[in-house]
Amino acid sequence: MSQIKHHAYIFDATRCIDCRACMVACSVENQIPMDKTRIWVAGLGVMGEFPNLTRASMVYHCMHCEHPDCMSACPVGAYHKREDGPVIYNPDVCIGCRYCMNACPFGVPHFDYDKGLIEGAFIDKCTFCPQRIDIGQEPACVATCPTDALVYGDRDELLKIAHERIAAHPDRYINHVYGEFENGGTSYLILSHVPFEQLGLPTLPETPVNAVSEQVMGITIPFALSWGAVLAGVTAGVGLYHKLKDNQDASAPDDTAEDEK
Amino acid sequence: MKLDITVTPRLRFKLSPLAWILLTLMGIAFIVSMIRYAFGIGAISDLSYSYPWGFWISFDLFTGVAISSGGFLMAGLVYILHIDEFKPLLRPSVLTAFLGYIMVAVALLVDLGHPERIWYMMIHWNHTSVLLEIGICVMSYLTVLAIEFSPVVFEGIRLNKIAQFIHKFIIPFVILGVVLSTLHQSSLGSLLLIQPAKLHPLWWTPILPILFFISALAIGLGMIILESSLSSRYFKRGLESKLLAKLAKAIPIVLIVYLAIKFGEIAYSGELNSLFTSGTMSLLFWLEIILSALVPIAWFAFKQNRESANRMLLGAVILLLGMILNRFNVSWFAVRHPDPLTYLPTFMSNVRYLPTLPEVSVSLGIFSAGILAFGLAVKYLPVFDSEHEALKEAPANSGD
Repeated sequence: MSQIKHHAYIFDATRCIDCRACMVACSVENQIPMDKTRIWVAGLGVMGEFPNLTRASMVYHCMHCEHPDCMSACPVGAYHKREDGPVIYNPDVCIGCRYCMNACPFGVPHFDYDKGLIEGAFIDKCTFCPQRIDIGQEPACVATCPTDALVYGDRDELLKIAHERIAAHPDRYINHVYGEFENGGTSYLILSHVPFEQLGLPTLPETPVNAVSEQVMGITIPFALSWGAVLAGVTAGVGLYHKLKDNQDASAPDDTAEDEK
Repeated sequence: MKLDITVTPRLRFKLSPLAWILLTLMGIAFIVSMIRYAFGIGAISDLSYSYPWGFWISFDLFTGVAISSGGFLMAGLVYILHIDEFKPLLRPSVLTAFLGYIMVAVALLVDLGHPERIWYMMIHWNHTSVLLEIGICVMSYLTVLAIEFSPVVFEGIRLNKIAQFIHKFIIPFVILGVVLSTLHQSSLGSLLLIQPAKLHPLWWTPILPILFFISALAIGLGMIILESSLSSRYFKRGLESKLLAKLAKAIPIVLIVYLAIKFGEIAYSGELNSLFTSGTMSLLFWLEIILSALVPIAWFAFKQNRESANRMLLGAVILLLGMILNRFNVSWFAVRHPDPLTYLPTFMSNVRYLPTLPEVSVSLGIFSAGILAFGLAVKYLPVFDSEHEALKEAPANSGD
């Protein structure tokens, strides 16, 4: 139905008026209880020295990374990334270990600390409203944004738009699209007039944070097999050595083995 | 006719004060964990969106697994390198490891959001997850330890035939156990590889798994000294001081290798200046290094320290405290989580984590259960005695 190949959105901090309508729209659309939310809006107040004062606010939800760290970390594979962008969480297999919360450099997944065994404590996070985008609608937060601070579309086109906006107003924007390359690229692209650290965004390299741990996991099985083979060889070798030595003379069987340590 | 209803108790349990304390702590932990199962993790702990892992993971998982490393170390020395003289230390180390891993598993049942789904790890595999590797390894190793320890139980209930039968096939399990231990001891370090943006650069390095494995060796040696010394005091039995002294000799070697790799990596990655410029983090780092490595190296290098039972115990305690601080640093103190509520990194916001009393009491209760189980096992099973017989006989005797 939709011709969008890779769902994404832009958040433009210069346009956000901190009205928090996106939070409400999200909660209504996804039936989030009143005391929970999938979007946080951080009003950062007045910043800078007089007379160069500025304000900023940050709408924050799942970045829908191209190489999701939650997905890499989850032991039971409760996360998967759809080919067209969204990172989806599946509560049916979640064991509640909260490793995804540790892994996510943005601190996105959050957990039901107030639920016992009977209610069931799960992870929750933004889903990209698959029930809406799959029938060609915008995600609830984007649809409701009164100032078009949130724009939804195809990632490649949005990147083009983002760079066009920066080119049109180089005085207004910081010359960087956060999420174009951060953490291997994200589907939530951020434009800002204040430094991204001030919006609370972590400074991340282009390699996703899961790169090293996935490399280590890749060599685990070969390492285990060869280590097992080495140990079996050592066991057999030392055993044989002892047998030969016992045959030669029965005295002092212990002293030699100590050299191994 | 008068009915005589007085019953003379045939069994009267006389519990020592220590046992009473342990049972009380276990009871408290049980009640607290019931509250957690009814009302959620938030009801008893200070864990939050910013701090999904806290005291439980640092103490129960990281420390618990680390201090259980004596089991695979002794099994490897005795069965793989055939150093038969260490046999008297084998059973207590395997017992400590077995109980240690059971404690880890029980603690995770409190920490997990869905403890009833822990077995999902066996059927749903995400092969990029370090936690999956740890889960699989710990579950398998628990089985291996049960097999390694089972001859002791069978001997205890006078089924020596079965004990001997199992003993015949022990070597493959020992090798499997050493491989599994190597994997998950190092993987506990790999668990934090995914947090380069959160873990302080003094601790985050790609070689964390190697550092974890080497330090696990030192911890294993320290734990064997600690557990032998304490149980010899409490159960008034002899101490294998000569054997322990031999083990203690290896501690400085292991620790020097550990230090060399650790500082070499810090120098290689160009973080040398943050050794002194990171404020509290530098302080924690140096406290950890001094306790876990520098003092034990110097302490165990002297012969007179290795010959005195008291000094051995003291040295082991310092080493273990330092290494436990290392595990806490890596998994908690040096980790900075962003604060999703304001989307500010923790050091910029006022989100703090302080373990609550109920949280700590759960860990204490589980730990008490472990100590109690160790005491009971030593009392009713031939954990130590048959080893002394073995000591008297020729060590190569195939008796067990």
